[in-house]
Amino acid sequence: MSEYKGGKSHKIKKKSSLSRRLRFTLDPFTITMIIIPVLLFTLFLVIPLGYVLISPALVAVQAGYSPISAVTSSDIIGTNLLVDPITVTTGQKIGLFPGMKYTLPSDGYILANGQRINLVKGTVIEWEDGTPYAVFPNGTRIELPQDLRSVTIPYRSPFTGEEAALITIHGIKFEGALLNSLIVAATVTAIAVILGLLVGFVFARYNFYGKTFFRILAIIPLLMVPFANAIVVRRLFAQDGPISYFVNAVLGLPYLIDVTGIAGVVLTQVITFFPIVYLNVFSSMMLIDPTLEEQAENLGARGFKLFRTVTLPLSLPGLLSGAAIVFIFSLEDLGGPIVFQEHNLLSYKIFEKISNAIKGGASAEAGLLAIPDAAIYSAIILAIALTVFVSIKKYLSLRQYAMMTKGGRWTPRARMLGLKGHLIVYLLLLPFLLFAAAPQIGVLILGFSHRWVGPSPEGFPTAENFAKIATDPALYKGVINSLVYSFSAVLIIILLGFTAAYVVARVKLPGIGVLDVLATSPLAIPGIAIATGYFLMFSQPFLRGTPLYIYVNPAVALVISYAVRRSPFTTRAIYAGLLQTHPTYEEAAMNLGASKSRTLFTILLPLIGISVLSGALISFVYSMSETSTSITIGLANEDQRPLVAVMYDQFTKVEAYQIVGAMGVILIAIQLTSIVIITMVLKQRYAFIGV
Amino acid sequence: MTEVRLVEVTKRFGEVVAVDHVSVTIKHGEFFTFLGPSGCGKTTTLRIIAGLEFPDEGSVFFDEEDVTMKRAYERKAAMVFQNYALWPHMSVFDNVAYGLKLKKLPPEEIKKKVEWALELVGLKGMEDRYPTQLSGGQQQRVALARAIVVEPRVLLLDEPLSNLDAKLRLKMREELKTLQMKLGITAIYVTHDQEEAMSLSDRIAVMNAGKIMQVGTPKEVYESPRNLFVATFIGKSTAVMGKADEIAGDRATITTPDGFKLRGRVAVGYKLSRGEEAVAIIRPEDFELEPPRVDHNVIEGVIEISMFLGPYNRLKVRTGKQVISAYVDPDISFKQGDRVKLYIPVDDVILFPAKGWEYIAYEAVA
Repeated sequence: MSEYKGGKSHKIKKKSSLSRRLRFTLDPFTITMIIIPVLLFTLFLVIPLGYVLISPALVAVQAGYSPISAVTSSDIIGTNLLVDPITVTTGQKIGLFPGMKYTLPSDGYILANGQRINLVKGTVIEWEDGTPYAVFPNGTRIELPQDLRSVTIPYRSPFTGEEAALITIHGIKFEGALLNSLIVAATVTAIAVILGLLVGFVFARYNFYGKTFFRILAIIPLLMVPFANAIVVRRLFAQDGPISYFVNAVLGLPYLIDVTGIAGVVLTQVITFFPIVYLNVFSSMMLIDPTLEEQAENLGARGFKLFRTVTLPLSLPGLLSGAAIVFIFSLEDLGGPIVFQEHNLLSYKIFEKISNAIKGGASAEAGLLAIPDAAIYSAIILAIALTVFVSIKKYLSLRQYAMMTKGGRWTPRARMLGLKGHLIVYLLLLPFLLFAAAPQIGVLILGFSHRWVGPSPEGFPTAENFAKIATDPALYKGVINSLVYSFSAVLIIILLGFTAAYVVARVKLPGIGVLDVLATSPLAIPGIAIATGYFLMFSQPFLRGTPLYIYVNPAVALVISYAVRRSPFTTRAIYAGLLQTHPTYEEAAMNLGASKSRTLFTILLPLIGISVLSGALISFVYSMSETSTSITIGLANEDQRPLVAVMYDQFTKVEAYQIVGAMGVILIAIQLTSIVIITMVLKQRYAFIGV
Repeated sequence: MTEVRLVEVTKRFGEVVAVDHVSVTIKHGEFFTFLGPSGCGKTTTLRIIAGLEFPDEGSVFFDEEDVTMKRAYERKAAMVFQNYALWPHMSVFDNVAYGLKLKKLPPEEIKKKVEWALELVGLKGMEDRYPTQLSGGQQQRVALARAIVVEPRVLLLDEPLSNLDAKLRLKMREELKTLQMKLGITAIYVTHDQEEAMSLSDRIAVMNAGKIMQVGTPKEVYESPRNLFVATFIGKSTAVMGKADEIAGDRATITTPDGFKLRGRVAVGYKLSRGEEAVAIIRPEDFELEPPRVDHNVIEGVIEISMFLGPYNRLKVRTGKQVISAYVDPDISFKQGDRVKLYIPVDDVILFPAKGWEYIAYEAVA
């Protein structure tokens, strides 16, 4: 009770307003709401990643070898080209030793003074008194040049049997894995930015017939089908694949095309990731106040000048965040390198070392000493990703996201295209979008085929792969495991996402921005770095016998990793829901005597339940298809493998591509169902990865 | 019933001082209004009383209890929000019953009380509707019922009528006053509408820039404004500048640049000295058309505009450099350019020192 009795003698104690703010704001409920996300993020994000970041120093201390040498060794930064970027193979030369006798296994030829002498299959080459002769199967005998040292077996098309040149595109591949990773990431980002900007601009600023269909088509590449999408790209561009078939057998050109190695990785990543840029750019452009562009036009800016001076700068937030995410995704991608067997990339080297350590089982050397090199490489990838993230974090923040998704304040400035514009759209954009959607379409075909080794799939359509998945425990267990893991992760995600979003949206205290950064950061943190961090943490010998021990129970680490990595989708959805819900709804309840927790359950949750649900569904979907941690730590225990790890196994061990395809179909089906539920039933926005 | 006392309450938002050392006592069962232009700090003051904000400095008392750091749910101060904040996922019944359920009353009693409250606000029979099925006025009544049904110590109203159309606003205004008197509850009201404030309140606190400019009954603030802000913000007024010459007690005379002499009373709490620049504040309705034979308080000028507004004619009269606004008998017609003589009774002229006038001037309502 106060002693105030009125009158002037009353003294007012001046308390610092910060201490009052803390006292007023920090009731037990709010403290709990702050502690939950801070604690979870600290335990499962900050500490493991911190461990990764300092591991080079720990390696130096514990293992006694210089982390510098691990980084500067030639297989990390070596600049020797390992293979020509493009090779053209026209035939194979078979060396001949004078005096020996040879029988040609197939048609071939030799060159004599620039003249080509054709030799059919079965021709015998022999020497008589030092002079080579060719004896044809029909008995004809001709003399060959004295200096004959080889015979050429020309390369032949598997489709026509005619001679053909095999053009193999390898891409630029150096000795150094870090160098390769950076070049790949930069290339993929640059191409994705150009493509994303073009597609985003066309969709944001022009109307044309069939636009809805185009927009749906442009979203197909975002359906996540790890491994299966890369398998399809590899098949499309194999020397006996459909593209070669088209060029060689349909067009009749004497060429076969084979995209492999780094080039294949880049190609797969570009088609997988460009829609991330496109969607971000599109959202940004839809947010631009049309009067800004109109004003610039009034001042005389038109065409490209208008785009360069007004439209582009204003859509920079979307462009930058899209580009940054593509760069980081490319850096940490594993599906492409594994399918194209391109092992000279940093992400693959980390994966290889950790999965070997895990498959090798628990040994005396646990934790850092089991994977010293992988930890150092992970520290590099993480440092790069964090640098990128910090430089664009304001564009990725919850606040920015809520602003970008609001939109619709004005009629966007879209112009109907004329005939010429329609021609361009149909002749250039449509084929491109179809091409970009090819992996997912291909996965559908692959999953329903008996097998697909040549130019076209065999036995399409058949449900035999699904029947096999349904009956083989090794296969269906993966599906069930992933469902269980993802569902468990979603429960953690709802707790994490709701508390984080609530605190950022409703608690007004200095320093809350840190939580916004923490809650958003998993979008930009390489999964492979998280996998490394979890291995370092959960492989410690003192955990032996506990459910956390990663060699025996990868399931727990997997669930936590899914929860952390996929939480931003839910956090963002809930945050957007909170911003749309006027705080007076909660204030009215508190005025009537409802405690904050009571208000949460009776007012806030019923009001934003739909946001929570749709966010959780998105997180669920992306947990199902999570790759990096699934295949690194998920391989430890055969019984606990998630779906993606089974896909990896099926690909590498038994080369059952069609099973991988069928599993991809399952993932696509889950994603499509979720999209329909979220947009049609819950009437919410489906937030694609990175958007 | 509760007495609410604010002592030196100060609230800052960053660099902005929203509420600046506000001290006021709101009596038991009083209908008290914070009146001021938007951004003057009145809503923040109300939210501090509600416990939705805390003051950076100062204290809030409910009777003898210091509630400064008590949270909203510990205060029993029910608020009616500007946007009503009816929960869209609950029916009218559930909205009104919410506070009662928190008190864990038996269901029959809750039902009885909700029915009582809904009847009081004239919404009997609407229990099962949802907020979206109600008109603005009905939503307003539900919000009111939801607040009074819990029998709060203080009823807080944040511009509750501002979202209603003009006609409904007048009706609700009367109902609100009747209801408050019937319940005998302490009500604290926030508005920027002076007519609303005048008609509803027992007392008004006029606020500007976070400070209370004057506290008083509607009659006091209208007839005896304590400063130029109140004088010009409350009611319509016209200002005439001049130089003070004769000063006798609380009376003084000023001479305008055009040579007119205006005698009036010096505002309470102020002093004028000879030769000081002064402002005479005159209500437009206090001008008279037929001056008595005196040598002061008569202003002559040329009519610039004459507007017929029903109960009176509104004249804009130019006298030299100044323009004054006067409401006069509508039966006498004027046209532009006519010369006119206007008389103002000495008691209706309030004189202020001109210091600070430049700042107020553009906000003056004439």
